Amino acid sequence: MTDSPARARGNNVFLALLDFFRQFGADFARGDIFVKLSLLVMGAGCFRRGQIIKGLLITLFQAVIIIFTISFALPYLADFSTLGTVTRAMVYNPDTMKNEVNDYDHSFKILLYSVVSLIVLFCALVVWLRNLRSARALEVTARQGKRVPSFIEEVKSYRNERFHITLLSLPCLGVVVFTVVPLIIMIAVAFTNYDQQHMPPGALFTWVGLANFKALFSNSITLSFGYAFFKVLRWTLIWAFAATFTCYIGGILLSIFINNAKTKCKQLWRTLFVISIAVPQFVTLLVVRNFFRNQGIVNTYMSQWGITAFLQKIGLVSESLTFIPFLTNPAWAMVMIILINIWIGVPYLMLIATGILMNIPKELYESARIDGASPFKTFIHVTMPYMLFVTAPYLVTSVVSNINNFNVIFLLTQDVYITTDQKLANANAKEIDLLVTWLYRLTQEYYNYKMASVIGIMVFVVCAVFTLLAFNIVLKRNKEDKFQL
Amino acid sequence: MKKRNVTKALSLTTRHLFLAVLSFIWLIPIFWLVANSFSVYPGINIRAFIPEAWTLENYRLLLFNSADTVARFPMWFKNTLVIAVFSCAISSVFVLMVSYAMSRMRFRGRKLLMNIGVLLGLFPGFLSMIAVYFILKSLGLTNNHWGLVMVYSGSSGLGYLIAKGFFDTISETLSESARIEGATESQVFLKIIIPLSRPIIVYTVIASFLAPWMDFVFARIILNSGMAADWTVSIGLYNMLERELINTYFARFCAGGVLISIPISVLFVIMQKFYVEGITGGSVKG
Repeated sequence: MTDSPARARGNNVFLALLDFFRQFGADFARGDIFVKLSLLVMGAGCFRRGQIIKGLLITLFQAVIIIFTISFALPYLADFSTLGTVTRAMVYNPDTMKNEVNDYDHSFKILLYSVVSLIVLFCALVVWLRNLRSARALEVTARQGKRVPSFIEEVKSYRNERFHITLLSLPCLGVVVFTVVPLIIMIAVAFTNYDQQHMPPGALFTWVGLANFKALFSNSITLSFGYAFFKVLRWTLIWAFAATFTCYIGGILLSIFINNAKTKCKQLWRTLFVISIAVPQFVTLLVVRNFFRNQGIVNTYMSQWGITAFLQKIGLVSESLTFIPFLTNPAWAMVMIILINIWIGVPYLMLIATGILMNIPKELYESARIDGASPFKTFIHVTMPYMLFVTAPYLVTSVVSNINNFNVIFLLTQDVYITTDQKLANANAKEIDLLVTWLYRLTQEYYNYKMASVIGIMVFVVCAVFTLLAFNIVLKRNKEDKFQL
Repeated sequence: MKKRNVTKALSLTTRHLFLAVLSFIWLIPIFWLVANSFSVYPGINIRAFIPEAWTLENYRLLLFNSADTVARFPMWFKNTLVIAVFSCAISSVFVLMVSYAMSRMRFRGRKLLMNIGVLLGLFPGFLSMIAVYFILKSLGLTNNHWGLVMVYSGSSGLGYLIAKGFFDTISETLSESARIEGATESQVFLKIIIPLSRPIIVYTVIASFLAPWMDFVFARIILNSGMAADWTVSIGLYNMLERELINTYFARFCAGGVLISIPISVLFVIMQKFYVEGITGGSVKG
């Protein structure tokens, strides 16, 4: 009854919406008085057709929503435009003869509960509109002399034709509560002045429009977010691509090398490499960080073997140091971070590549062999194109997850790396920070939620632009690809 | 002929020698971790890679010294185990439900939901975490293990892609014939598909069980009271490396790292078998 025109139009949300309202109007116009009444008392349509229990439940839902709106949603939504006006203060109470905390406004709670209220009210609106349409559908069923489904039958339909609703409702609720609502709140925070000077409950924060976005692109000595942002963004992108591609190529080469017919004990070699990733990252990375400390074991050996002196001679290590600044000098740290990430990432890729390599059609290799291609040529013209074809979506998502790769950089450099760039330090950033680690430090150490939210939105923009571009290219190429199965 | 054999043997030896050197490099930090956990020197030994003298004292102190207020390893282990069991149960059920619905069922809004899922994945997970912290705080669920269970399992439905890839590979004829014989959709799911999906169920269960053991960021935000007894293993071990503690606790940190790594790596290796299957099963069909 509801689906055919909308489905024919494909997945365009706006057309589907338009379609819904057109049909809603038609249902309202054609429905009898009980259908129209179900806009006022939501159970009306059900009562008329004898669905007493369902009608009662729907009306109860309506009552709960009304009570919720009056007692909870409206008071918070009223303050939504200002995010509160009454600052917390101690007020003398003549009744108890003591100083007491006044009835202050808590900006964050106003924001949070307003967002929650808006979402609940939006859902209620959808239910309210759809209710009229199902009342009309019920009327049509009854008019045609068909049997109206009983309450038990309706419940049973959630195990059968409506089973997807049963499956999806709880997980979706979880996602709404733990991802959607928080994200809406944090996006809203980007347009407020929520920071250390404006921390509830002690102080209020309020809307400031696009001021934080302007700050992100401003560049002066005291307000150097613009300087820091582009530096951090550049390193984030370099890191994401370098980390993804070094591990990708390394992992494929390693798995080809191990899978080669001449290699004995394949499983043993694989296991040896997997051990290093089987240990939790926070253990291995913290170990590695201390391994490469300025006064650490590697530096002890490096100076014993004369490597430190050699590096000083060729100018890679400053003469004033007695150690190699593996994780404390910007250039050294960047290279080390990428190298250490190869150490972590290659075994993963080796495992994935091993699975895919075994699926490469043998005929491809056969014909390459008959054509007299060298192993190198086979790799370039057969193995790599096939791997790229199969793993293209994986590559795209792994660049995105490397943009958000918190663990490696945080665990290797937190508390160890100190920036000497004053402008970066003014923006609480470091040379080796990714956007996400910067975001973390801004919130956890400096309580600068407004700028953290702005940076979070920028991460989203970067990831979204990259994903769109990459998938367009990948999809276009794959359509013409010879490996299409 | 003989010369050929010699070059062949030589190339075979170089090949394996190369692999041996490479895997040795890969294992150095693990060796160092194990070596330090048996070291008599409690801080970081920077004089020698192999400790001068060996002892089991670090393990004894870590496991049986209940007077220590910094290192409460048995407590941490218990906390993490409880959190992991509950969040694993919820997450696995969520993931299997979502992936089955997205893979095998056709309904209005399916594509839309999947696109929203992709969109949400482009935001840094940490951004929503800041607000989740304040939400949990207003509910009194920070510094509470249930709050952490919710954080780990609440949005787990979004991680359905690997399991969906697996469900996509199961032939439709099976569920079709069950429907013809009068099975409901829920029976098709529970009685036909689930029994066929052992590999992906094992993968999903282990992956969601391991997440709380490996996570360190979210746990540190939610359990921020500074009460060592409330922590999970990862925050506890991280804390041992604070500047003022590292010189007394580094060897014990290593011992803890070894203890925690043994069960985790066993599970990890089991999981890997199914992970590769899930990944390739999903992407080859592309």
